[in-house]
Amino acid sequence: MTNVIEAEQRSFMTGNEVVAWAALAAGAEFMYGYPITPQNEIMHYWTRLAPKFKRGFLQTEDELSAGFATLGGVMAGRKSFCATAGPGNVLMQEPISMAEMMRIPAVWFIQQRGGPSTATVIYSQQETRLTCLGGNGEGNRLVYSTASHQEVFDYAIKAFNNAWNYRFPTFVLGDGYQAKMREAVTLYDPAQRGIELHGTSRMLGRSSKQLDGQQVRHYRNTFNIEEELYETLMQHIADWDHMAEEVVEWAWEGDEEPDLLLVAHGVVSRAVYAAYEHLKSAGYNVAYFRPITLRPFPVAALQRAAGRCRQLLVAESAYGQLLSLVRDSLYGKTCAPIEGLLRPGLGITEELVVEWAQRLLARVG
Amino acid sequence: MVERVEAFVGEYAAGKSEVAVNRALALRQQGKQVTLVDLDLVEPTFTLRPLKHQLEGQGLNVIAWETAQTFGLGEAGMQLHPQARSAMLRTGHLVCDVGYGVFGSEVLNLVEGALACPHLGVYLVVNTTRPMTSSVDLILEEAKLFNPLHGLLNNTHLGAETTVELVQRGAQIVQVAANELNLPVIATPALAEIAQQMDGYDVCGNPVWPLRRYLQTAFW
Amino acid sequence: MERIHDHDPAMPASWNRATKPHRFCPGCGHGIFLKALGEVIDELGIAERTVFGCDIGCSLLAWDFLNVDSVQTHHGRTVPVVVGAKRANPELIVIAYMGDGGGYAIGAQHLVNSAMRNEKITVLLANNTVYAMTGGQMAPTTLPGQTTGTTPYGRDPDATGQPTLGPEMVAAITSNSAYVARGSVSNYPRLKQYVRQALENQLAGRGFSFVEALSGCPTNWHTNAKQTWSYLDDEMTKYFTLGEFKTPGQAEGGEDK
Repeated sequence: MTNVIEAEQRSFMTGNEVVAWAALAAGAEFMYGYPITPQNEIMHYWTRLAPKFKRGFLQTEDELSAGFATLGGVMAGRKSFCATAGPGNVLMQEPISMAEMMRIPAVWFIQQRGGPSTATVIYSQQETRLTCLGGNGEGNRLVYSTASHQEVFDYAIKAFNNAWNYRFPTFVLGDGYQAKMREAVTLYDPAQRGIELHGTSRMLGRSSKQLDGQQVRHYRNTFNIEEELYETLMQHIADWDHMAEEVVEWAWEGDEEPDLLLVAHGVVSRAVYAAYEHLKSAGYNVAYFRPITLRPFPVAALQRAAGRCRQLLVAESAYGQLLSLVRDSLYGKTCAPIEGLLRPGLGITEELVVEWAQRLLARVG
Repeated sequence: MVERVEAFVGEYAAGKSEVAVNRALALRQQGKQVTLVDLDLVEPTFTLRPLKHQLEGQGLNVIAWETAQTFGLGEAGMQLHPQARSAMLRTGHLVCDVGYGVFGSEVLNLVEGALACPHLGVYLVVNTTRPMTSSVDLILEEAKLFNPLHGLLNNTHLGAETTVELVQRGAQIVQVAANELNLPVIATPALAEIAQQMDGYDVCGNPVWPLRRYLQTAFW
Repeated sequence: MERIHDHDPAMPASWNRATKPHRFCPGCGHGIFLKALGEVIDELGIAERTVFGCDIGCSLLAWDFLNVDSVQTHHGRTVPVVVGAKRANPELIVIAYMGDGGGYAIGAQHLVNSAMRNEKITVLLANNTVYAMTGGQMAPTTLPGQTTGTTPYGRDPDATGQPTLGPEMVAAITSNSAYVARGSVSNYPRLKQYVRQALENQLAGRGFSFVEALSGCPTNWHTNAKQTWSYLDDEMTKYFTLGEFKTPGQAEGGEDK
């Protein structure tokens, strides 16, 4: 395979483009997709670049088929990925459920838009719950929530590696704002930074070289007996718990006994971090926490961060999806009030966070 | 009938809209009658629409939907404004902000008669920090998509990280490509802070166009 | 056709005046297709009983286009929604309005199944060979060699097949009491006649009715006026035959216009 990126380059581009380049650099061989705003440019760029690097693409008839075709590609031993948004993400829950049950390492890039239903095409953080816990299972998934183009590039490479290593459906959760915003990013060949790309294996189909002595493999995701399901699922959960210890990521800064702990994920964390710095330099006693893996959620780390805080403010462009995860993590661990700055489908600015924070900080006095 | 048409074409996020807006305002400053046409038909978010009123206040005629007229229509709201078709019936200069896509100069078919204008300038906006236009060969490949093509612009930048040195390196790459194509480099647009340090011309002797940022980074 | 003031453009009474001028692109075929529909609704006097469903994509711009109860559904799901409405209240005249993506890609299973069940609904599908609203990606009816957002080097039929022939498929699977036709916005009287026969089929309670209209999209074809009509009349008709594919009581067959 020709080197996708010959030498590190600092480039100015949009988030969707970064996804296409990152997937190429991570060794993805196939993309299956379907048009839906705001992720179409991933396909537009992949289809332009794919032939140059001998990668494949198919625009299928809908998101269901795009997702299931991705599973098929992965099972046949090729790194495959899919991208979608909004109502497309809702449809993807079917193939994702199969990936969870059958431990198929497919990768998805999600560019959140306003919901529910068709709603807006621009932006939101309203697919947090869906991407982490959608489907009719226990959410055995790995979900990264990025906040910059560099992270999209870096975590895309991680996503493919961790998917094929731990064998759970893996997600890079972005949003329409990140998809369209323009900023500089360093594109690099993972090998040049000492990052080894994880190998693939085939679940289905064999090359002619493998015929001797190879067992035929039968896969199913149905179970006749509840106990069998229970045992299988508990094994998956044990594997997931093991993965969780190794992949969980977060960012935490500030005082260990803050008057206010600010919590946000994804692109909102940029505004919240800016607000944190502003408040800190204004002399307030504040701290900042950002989950980078939403699933597994950095429960222990948040418990430490919130252990001795007076109150929390959770900011998100959704109506409580991050807030629920925070409350769930801190249940029984804190009596501090947890307030939500909840703006479903709307952007959140540094100014707004500062305004809310100052109001809450005044309460503490 | 419009006398001169300038169309800014190029790759996605090359800076076409920013250059088109600034150019239109610069022409207006020179006392010309200017109509700016929004031909961005793919990108629902990073467009001229939020600027329509502001630019009209600065003396431009702007053919574009207003944000409020297109948002809330579910998918992309990327329809062409009906007045775009007959834009050549206006007077003075026509500046076209052409969205991205693999269709090249054909997009100008949407402005009936534009391609037949005797004073037509189709200009390729190039940012050499973008991987698909980062070398002479790649720029030549991109330029092949556009027929007719009358010139190139060196819009090399890295947003907030831009330096004069970066812009000048870009100028040199674009100049070599332009020479291969037998086309002029029309200008090097650059943000005012950078342009100030360049004394009116880039290292290849092409004029520097100082740019003011109009397209917002927060677009709601 | 109603004309209220001398300077008001004439338009069907079943058109919602408040939302005119409409927001379709200049040169778009939807306006013409919807004019045929509006006139037929007027002539048949069915506005009060009509329920109009539209899909995602440019067809969604028709959500407040008519003076009839309307619902914009999810992508590809307009057919099942109007099926549900019709079965709940068979007095209604239900129309599912969509594009080639909504009908032949994501909505294909619903189109096929409701046709097989001979649902007494009318499906009107505007075929412009692209996913226009989302920026011009390949559609089921994209022509071989056509450049789109996801076929930047031209559609390769070896990789992605030939353009979908929707009316032919529907005609092959529906009952003999169905009505199936393909018209073009470039031949308005014939298109209107097809729309009328389709709605009459539903009115008479005979069965499924389906009309595809070849529709212009200069915005995504990047064509001027002359090139747009040429694409419709000369290029698209190489793949998409105009005519009626099924008329109630007769055997299948298509007649050229």
